[in-house]
Amino acid sequence: MEPTPPKSLWELYWGFLSIGARSFGGVLPWAHRVMVEERRWLAPADFAEVLALCQFLPGPNVGNVSIVVGRRWFGLKGAIVAFLGLMALPLVWVFAMALLYADYATDPMVRAVVTGVGITGGGLFIGTALKMAKPLIKSRPWAIALALACFGTISFGRLSLFLVLPVAALISWLLARRNLV
Amino acid sequence: MLQIALYFALLSLVSVGGMPSVMPEMQRIVVDVEHWLTAPEFTQLFALAQAAPGPNVLVTALVGWKVAGIPGGLLALSAFCLPAGALAYTIGQLWDRFRDAEWRKTFQRALVPVTIGFVLSGGYLLGTPHGLEWRSVLIMAASAAILFAAKVNPLWILAGGGVLGALFF
Repeated sequence: MEPTPPKSLWELYWGFLSIGARSFGGVLPWAHRVMVEERRWLAPADFAEVLALCQFLPGPNVGNVSIVVGRRWFGLKGAIVAFLGLMALPLVWVFAMALLYADYATDPMVRAVVTGVGITGGGLFIGTALKMAKPLIKSRPWAIALALACFGTISFGRLSLFLVLPVAALISWLLARRNLV
Repeated sequence: MLQIALYFALLSLVSVGGMPSVMPEMQRIVVDVEHWLTAPEFTQLFALAQAAPGPNVLVTALVGWKVAGIPGGLLALSAFCLPAGALAYTIGQLWDRFRDAEWRKTFQRALVPVTIGFVLSGGYLLGTPHGLEWRSVLIMAASAAILFAAKVNPLWILAGGGVLGALFF
C-alpha cells in the first residue's frame, strides 16, 4: 500500500503526540509503529532512510525525525508542531514521575520494576534493529557485517562514537559505491 | 542557569547518535566540574528518564530542574534541543532537495548499516544496566524476539518486562 503523508497539522500533531504518549522504554519502536504501521505516513524504506539521516545528525534521534518529516510535509510550522507534539506529554510525565519517584526510590520493588522496564526497553531497540536489518540479510551480507562491526566496536570494544562513526561511514560509503550495501 | 543552557547547547551540537554518546561528558560537567549534582543523583535521574516515556533527552530537563526548578528544566531541555534541531531542519531541507542526486542515494544506502549497528548498541547499553548477566540477557532477548516476530503492542512487552524485573531483581 502506498504511504500517504498526514493531511493536516492536526493529524501530524496527534500522530506525534501518540508516539510521545506511549513511548515507554524508548521512542524509536513507537515512532516506527505509528508512522509506518498504524498511520502509514512513510514506507518502511523511507523510515529507515530518515532515521539513518537523523542518527547521523547530532541531537535526539526521534526529535530530529519529527523535525525532518514535519518540515518535509508542512515546512517550518510542521517541524515545530511535530517536535512539540512529540515532547509535550513525556515532559509532563517525566516531571510527575521524578516527583513521585523521590518518595519511592528506596522501595526495592519499585527499583526492580523500573530496572525490568528499562531492560525491556533495550530489548525493543534490538527488535527494531532486527526489523530494519531483515530486508538486508539475504541480499546485502556486507551491510549486516558492517552493522555487527559497529555494534561490536561500540558495545564491546568501548570505542568512542566519535571514532566509530566517521570510520564506519567511510567504509559504508565505499561499499555503497560498489553497490555492496 | 545561563551557564547550564550554554553547556547543554554546546553538547547538543556534538551529540551524534543521540543521548548515550554525550552522557559521560554531561556527567563530567554536571557532577565533577560544577558540582550541581552528586554522581548517584545523576545516575538516578538518568534511570528515571529512561523508564519514563519519551525521548531520553528528557534527562536534560531533569538535570535543569534539580539545579533551578521547572524553568531551569525547560531552559536546559530547550538549550539541548534547539541547536541540533536547527541543524536537522537545514540538513533535512538539503536532503530533500537532492532527492534524486546519485551521491545522496549512495550516502543513504551507506547510512543504513551504520544506523542498524548504532541502534543495536543503544539497545545493548540500555538492556545491560548490571553488565552481561543472565537475567538481563533473558529479558532483553525475549522482548527483542517478541517485538520482531509478533505483532503485539510494545506496551504489553514492557509490562511483562516490569513483572520479570520484579521477580528477578
